[in-house]
Amino acid sequence: MYRLGIDLGSSYTKGVLVDENNQMVDFHCVKSGYNFNNASAKIIAHFSEKYEIVYPVYTCGYGREQIQAAFISNSELIALAKAVFHLYHRACSIIDIGGQDTKFIQVNALGQVDKFKMNRKCAAGTGSFIEEIAFRLDVTPAEFTEFVKEATDEVKINSYCTVFAISEIIGMIKNGAILPNIILGIYNSIIARSIEMALVEDHLVITGGLPFMHPTIVSLFKDKYPDSDSPEHSQFLAAYGCVLLHSKISDFEN
Amino acid sequence: MSQTQSELIRLQSVNALKITMDNYFQGLKQAAETRNRKIAWCTSVGPAELLYSMGFEVYFPENHGAMLGAGKNADKYIPTAVAHGYSPDICSYLTSDIGAFLQNETPLQKSGFSSVPRPDILVFNTNQCREVEDWFSFYGRHFKVPVIGIHTPLCISDLNPEIIKSVSDQYHRLIPELEKVTGKKFDIDRFRETVGLSHDGCVLWKQVLQKAQNLPSPINFFDAAIHMGPIVVMRGTQPAVDYYKILLAELEERIENKISAVPVEKFRIYWEGMPLWYKLSNMAKLFAKLDTCIVASTYCNSWVFDDLDPADPFTSSALAYCKLFIVRSDSVKENVLEQMFKDFTINGIIYHESKTCARNSNNRFGMQNRMFKRTGVPFLEINGDLNDPRCYSEEQSIIAIETFIHQLSGR
Repeated sequence: MYRLGIDLGSSYTKGVLVDENNQMVDFHCVKSGYNFNNASAKIIAHFSEKYEIVYPVYTCGYGREQIQAAFISNSELIALAKAVFHLYHRACSIIDIGGQDTKFIQVNALGQVDKFKMNRKCAAGTGSFIEEIAFRLDVTPAEFTEFVKEATDEVKINSYCTVFAISEIIGMIKNGAILPNIILGIYNSIIARSIEMALVEDHLVITGGLPFMHPTIVSLFKDKYPDSDSPEHSQFLAAYGCVLLHSKISDFEN
Repeated sequence: MSQTQSELIRLQSVNALKITMDNYFQGLKQAAETRNRKIAWCTSVGPAELLYSMGFEVYFPENHGAMLGAGKNADKYIPTAVAHGYSPDICSYLTSDIGAFLQNETPLQKSGFSSVPRPDILVFNTNQCREVEDWFSFYGRHFKVPVIGIHTPLCISDLNPEIIKSVSDQYHRLIPELEKVTGKKFDIDRFRETVGLSHDGCVLWKQVLQKAQNLPSPINFFDAAIHMGPIVVMRGTQPAVDYYKILLAELEERIENKISAVPVEKFRIYWEGMPLWYKLSNMAKLFAKLDTCIVASTYCNSWVFDDLDPADPFTSSALAYCKLFIVRSDSVKENVLEQMFKDFTINGIIYHESKTCARNSNNRFGMQNRMFKRTGVPFLEINGDLNDPRCYSEEQSIIAIETFIHQLSGR
């Protein structure tokens, strides 16, 4: 019997299966598309093939209430904070970069959220920023990771606005800038947008789909904050936290 | 009357409120149609008492702006003002009001007005912002009527005699201009009487807001944002005084009968900044669902001018309108907030950073961090706007608000 956490995010729906000892045992991720009900059904169907799921399932994210199965919905920020504290057992700052949101969460030594902040109204600094730029440059987001290894110098992207950032990049290409350097600039621009949200005063944990798909971002964070890391399966942690929030086992028991 | 777990009970005074506001607008309409009384346009924290005392019907464009916002029509009008050269980044009361005017539309048409009432003079006070002068100047040029006003110093820490005298002198200097329009002499006794009525109305309004100190509160921010109508547009008149006596009595009765503004009150929030007029109802329901009552706000408290004194109407008007939260320094504002946190047993504060209203967005200079350090009261910042719904991401804000309340529940 397994409990299921589902994070129905703006870009992807992430499911994580949790055993009776609160360990993550399996993961599945699908595109959210236009119908969260379909996305959550796909997650449930996938796990149901191999596992027996206990209902209700635990949800968070934009589509947290768009699910046909019995569910209990949660705040994704509280869930993420719960999962990160469960893994680290210490006060920390979390930067989570997702499809449309960048979040900063400060968790205290008791695991409580002291402060949090979400990005302002635009998509600068989120996954959508990279996706849009990649589309315009006709490069897959996955290819970004390969290209950036050849970067020789950083190109600075100034614009907050995704559309204007693309115009800026096109201008740079015209002036001879090479793609790897531009990609490094894009990554650093995302980092700049996220660290201006609040002061990082303690251990920094980087989570979300973007650092998972673009591991260079985690390395760049480490250059700025040596006391930082990104746990495995970090894009599934909010879903995991949903289950933990309703677990009877205390964080300090495992 | 008893209350079920999920019921938001409407204030019965809303009927009296409707009659009071209808009478106000009918007075304006009659003056606009017959031109038998002069019409002055006034800023919402402008010298309304002086205008009423001199026999003007007084119209408030900011009230009109809020009506456009609450009617969810502002985004229909803002682009027209923008096309006429007004930036979408400036006051969206201004841009929606001017846009609606340029489209010859107003919600007042539902009450039989052909358009907004034509002004004979426009009178501003810059205590709240400079935009009001620009806003009134548009109409001054259009109608070819005088635009006069009071320029109040900004970020006032010490309300010293020089500042009060400067503003009081500016009050005096308005009088000859107003007399030219009315053709009648200014009457000091009538002014004293109007200032006295304004004082009484403000004291009653303050008492209304203070009822929210009760645990649980019988009134919330969303109620107050509606019921503040008379203190904004009828300050200095008997009907405003009469109305707040009715509302106050109902709130006292609610307290006695244990009727709360939200069915279950677990958390008490302070709202810093402008309302999101187009989302008042959604927000009221959201907070009620979260067992949360917004019990106090800077916005609603901004119409408490209890320093007004008929014995010294000019000096006390200058004092009252310079004491306003929005025109004070951050250090004074922070003292006010700290006291409010104590008086209203506040668990958390929400700062609404309004895209087009810098003066009412107090989190832009770090106040939220300073207040957290000083009081330990957790805070949330919401990005939005008073009138322009295009500046507000509702889904993201709901997640943030739900998370904030969850955060408070863990304490």
